Amino acid sequence: MGELNKWLETIKIAWVNLTAYKINYIIMVLGPSLTFFFVKYNLWTAIYKTNSLDMIQGYTLSQMLSYQVWTLVVGLIAQSYNSMNIAVDIRYGKISTYLIYPFDFWQYHTASFIAFFMNQIVISFLTLLALAFIGIITLPSLAIFSQALPLCFLVALLWFVVMYFIGLISFWLDETWTLRVVFIMISQFFSGAFLPLEIFPQWLMDGIKYLPFKYMTYVPVKVFMGTYTGSLSLAYIVVSLWAIAFALGSALLWRKGVKLYTAAGI
Amino acid sequence: MKHYLKVYREFLNTCFSQAMSFRINFIFLIGMELIFYSTNLFTVDFIFDYVDTIGPWNRDQFLFFTAFMLTVDHMHMTFNSENFWWFSDDLKRGNLDFTLLKPISSIFTVFFRRMRPGTLPNIFTTWGLMIYFGSKLDFAWWAWAALPLLILTSYAFIISLEIIISISMFWLTEGHGVNFLRMQLQRFSQWPDFVFMYFTRKALTFFFPILLVGTAPVQLMFDASNWKYFILMLFYFGLSLITIKALWSLGLKQYESASS
Repeated sequence: MGELNKWLETIKIAWVNLTAYKINYIIMVLGPSLTFFFVKYNLWTAIYKTNSLDMIQGYTLSQMLSYQVWTLVVGLIAQSYNSMNIAVDIRYGKISTYLIYPFDFWQYHTASFIAFFMNQIVISFLTLLALAFIGIITLPSLAIFSQALPLCFLVALLWFVVMYFIGLISFWLDETWTLRVVFIMISQFFSGAFLPLEIFPQWLMDGIKYLPFKYMTYVPVKVFMGTYTGSLSLAYIVVSLWAIAFALGSALLWRKGVKLYTAAGI
Repeated sequence: MKHYLKVYREFLNTCFSQAMSFRINFIFLIGMELIFYSTNLFTVDFIFDYVDTIGPWNRDQFLFFTAFMLTVDHMHMTFNSENFWWFSDDLKRGNLDFTLLKPISSIFTVFFRRMRPGTLPNIFTTWGLMIYFGSKLDFAWWAWAALPLLILTSYAFIISLEIIISISMFWLTEGHGVNFLRMQLQRFSQWPDFVFMYFTRKALTFFFPILLVGTAPVQLMFDASNWKYFILMLFYFGLSLITIKALWSLGLKQYESASS
């Protein structure tokens, strides 16, 4: 019970921290996703209209725009967390406090992630309702939501553990933001966040089919759209396995890194 | 001017010495930029596998535009990007006090003090790409001759617009959000204006003219009769310099040193 209380209190504190600077938070979290969506919305409309196209690789304009809307939603729910605080905690010697507190470093950051995820769910639903209200998409059935949301949560978890893993590299490197940006760029590109994977050339499709990226955007988006024909169980298994692998890697990094750690300012 | 160049040389020296202490970051920075260039170019290339034109441009024209904007982005990344993040921290921690005490323009110190020498080698990549895609187009000799100047103008213009956005940090408690907003506006400039719908295009050309950064010089290179947008960009650049000066003074009045 005491352990649960610690988690709940930390989640509450993280929630308060997240929403303390509201304008800042909205710009940081909603801004990138909305801009990304807005650019893509305009771009695809221009592509279809200037070429008077009915369909590109099985997508009509309205299906392509719908794909982009769901990419926005999946991005908001699952791919907005960043590990900036983790690296800062290590670089500035703030982890000294975690070493003496009865709540571990990973527990603190996982609780913060849970608060962030809950916040993102609210933001995503509001965004979704707004987009449905102006008629860009139609809301899917509850059955589809019940399939897609757990997958989004798993993807968010995978995203978090990868970010946590990258953050822990701060034990060895002064700057880890480059690694974070590299991961975000690669995963966005190969996951179908910009272009649906059907647009990719065959040689690239063959190359990325063994990587987890397509499960990070393309598959959840297709599930939301109700057009996913692959195995959903396989998606759950692949994402879970990658999340476990990165979680174990993080535990290893922590064990090795904390031995190197010298608290700054003490 | 001579004094400022001397100071800038010292800034460069310091940044080089600092960067040499973290050599592995050199490699990561170069790798990160190469991935950024690749994803941008491949995105455009893959789309053109299914269409002949986007707006009035074909594949080669579009790829040249993308390479042009990557070159501008590279200069921005190397010479300025880091300063915007430091400015937000300096405001929060009161470190701006030290800058204000120096007998030199505080705007110059704040936005030009820090560089990323690690990304400099990519200058060959961006210029190489731009020349490669440009060579597929029938540019007039003057267009090639004007290219360095056009790049510099676009770079100066986007920096001036971003400084205007950054000054708003004086009025906010936390400035990271403004930096994210600034980066989002960069994203708009990476696409030609005709990609955007009417009202967006007008707003981002005349109200906050971020679309002029790439579209105006590249349109001019494609066709000299498209000079009007470039003149408009120069006009807005002049206006933005005046705006920066005025807003900076207002911002400094608003600034309360966190350390005092």
